[in-house]
Amino acid sequence: MRILLIEDEVKVAAFVKRGLVADRYAVDVTHDGKEGLEFVSSFQYDLVILDLMLPGLDGTSVLRRIRAGDSKIPVLILTARDGVRDKVSNFEAGADDYLTKPFAFAELLVRVKALLRRGPVNRSSTIRLRDLELDRLLQQVKRNGKRIELTTKEYSLLEYLMSNAGRVLSRNMIIEHVWDASFDGLTNVVDVYIRHLRKKVDDISDCKLIHTVRGVGYAIRDESEP
Amino acid sequence: MNARSLRFRMTAWYAGLLGAALLLFGTTVYLGLSRHLNRQMNESLVGQARTIGQELLAYVGARGDQYAVTEMNESYSPEINARFIRVTRQNGKVLYRSSSPHNGSFDASQIPPAKGAEQEGFPPRFVNAAAGPVVLQGLTYVAPNGERFLIETGAAYQLIADELRSIRLAFALGIPVFLLGAVAGGLILVKNSLQPIREITKQAERISSESIGERLPVVRTGDEVERLALSLNRMIERLEEAIQHISRFSADVSHELRTPLTILQGELEAMASHRPHDLESLEMIGNALEEIDRLSKIVNQLLIISRLDAGQAGIERLPVNLGDLALDAAEQMRLLADEKDIVMSYAIEPNIFVLGDHLRLKQVLVNLLDNAIKYTADGGRLEVRVSGQREFAHLTVSDNGIGIDREALPHIFERFYRADKARSRTSGGTGLGLSIVNSIAAAHDGHVAVRSSERGGTTVTVVLPLLPRGQEQLCSKKEMTSEPISR
Repeated sequence: MRILLIEDEVKVAAFVKRGLVADRYAVDVTHDGKEGLEFVSSFQYDLVILDLMLPGLDGTSVLRRIRAGDSKIPVLILTARDGVRDKVSNFEAGADDYLTKPFAFAELLVRVKALLRRGPVNRSSTIRLRDLELDRLLQQVKRNGKRIELTTKEYSLLEYLMSNAGRVLSRNMIIEHVWDASFDGLTNVVDVYIRHLRKKVDDISDCKLIHTVRGVGYAIRDESEP
Repeated sequence: MNARSLRFRMTAWYAGLLGAALLLFGTTVYLGLSRHLNRQMNESLVGQARTIGQELLAYVGARGDQYAVTEMNESYSPEINARFIRVTRQNGKVLYRSSSPHNGSFDASQIPPAKGAEQEGFPPRFVNAAAGPVVLQGLTYVAPNGERFLIETGAAYQLIADELRSIRLAFALGIPVFLLGAVAGGLILVKNSLQPIREITKQAERISSESIGERLPVVRTGDEVERLALSLNRMIERLEEAIQHISRFSADVSHELRTPLTILQGELEAMASHRPHDLESLEMIGNALEEIDRLSKIVNQLLIISRLDAGQAGIERLPVNLGDLALDAAEQMRLLADEKDIVMSYAIEPNIFVLGDHLRLKQVLVNLLDNAIKYTADGGRLEVRVSGQREFAHLTVSDNGIGIDREALPHIFERFYRADKARSRTSGGTGLGLSIVNSIAAAHDGHVAVRSSERGGTTVTVVLPLLPRGQEQLCSKKEMTSEPISR
């Protein structure tokens, strides 16, 4: 999978590239809008990550020209601008996703993966992690074959964690997916729910699945596997 | 028509002044004309009497009574001219009396004899003689032979009375008709000259911070209205510059602050995921990441506040069911209260709608509940109330927590104000929660009231303009089209 990163901030581009390469993506970086456009027309990319404030040609214009060329390539906007109007105008110009700086790299990675596996996603009705089992149809959770009663919110939280198993999810990501943006920035609601979820899911077993990544967020993964 | 509108007042003044002027003019003309006619009549009557004396009575002694009688009938024919002539000798004997005129305007036999009016120039008298009034003049004539005659001449007053009456009628009918026409004309004139002002008003009401690029219509007439429109447009231009300045500033700030934060966060996350690390370094990196997270929250919230304060930019205006919103937010935070054994209760009136931004209003509730839970001791109580009071919706969150000091109360909406500095820093807030609540309420044309006692218990009430019942459906179509924006 080949990704083009158009970002004028050299240091941001550097760590995004590093992270994506570590996740086995091929990444090209350009710091200029016009150059980026040439890259898009010269090579076959699977995804473009596009900053808005660019020298030469600004991000929205780059996006418009990409779409004018009848290209269906997914474009993720990465920007410090978070005004509703900015978002709307860029979605209208043909953006597929929009991520505001500062962002957790984990979130960028989740969104990149979501864009790359577009089309019919094979969502199996049961997700398994070691002896933890989540049935999406019945909305039931079992650990080691024993049923666990969860509240609606606890269930949504666990489902979000498990469908991104192995990945670190930031509190903001969890808030936006399980609650909504109005909870952003204030409460420790995620921590409280994770604590309750742990009590129900992990305390009954010796093998802990829900992990805290200090300063970043939470992840569900089986650490007993190599 | 609105009695206080410029159009009504201008027309009323104009019509009143015009009416008064016409009335004054009419009265003057009428009085002058009436005096003139009366005087003319008198002069003609006196003149006639004098002529009768000098040209006929002077020769009565010489030519005999019959001569005077014939002459008078022939040269004056009073019956035809509707005149009255009576000549009386000194001894009271009537020498001549004309008979009733042919047109029957008065009855000559009904006119009483004059009493004691023997000297020249006595005032005219009016006599009602059966068919109509008669005006009489009289004078005493002394003939050359020394004989004295009283000559009385009269005429039907009906002519003058008729003429005056027709003038009165003309004025009584003409002035109102004229006035009515003038008022109608004035109304149209005022309406036409106020038309540009109405258009300016209409357009000005449409211009909001969202459409600040629009301008008022200017009609190039060179008059005061054009000047008004031009100077209002210049004012809007200055406002637009200020708003653009603010939004450019917040865009710049977000870029300038967020880019380094992004880099810091990215590098530290990369460090954290690069194993192996000793536990101490991981702890340090985690600490740094948490502070970066807090810093970016503060930046975000400052931007939200500055945008809200700059106007209603970015605020959606859709019907929101406040009760549903309150229950939803409270339910999603229930576990936080449960953890501290805080009992939450609700008093929600159904169908309380306000016009606003769903996400922002929910943020109000989340912030208030968060505060209430944070500052209420374990086992406390918390109540959420939603009610409609006249044209306002009241959203109240009250607790029996630690309360707010009297000296702190006026400052709690200030940015970064913390009533208890040591305590709240550890609880992880940004110090902007209540400022955001205040700004959101203000952007919705509402306000926030806080009541608290030092013995404990705080009640925060958010007052918002109530959407009149039945209007919530009107806009429900809009809600669907704007869904992608709120994403």
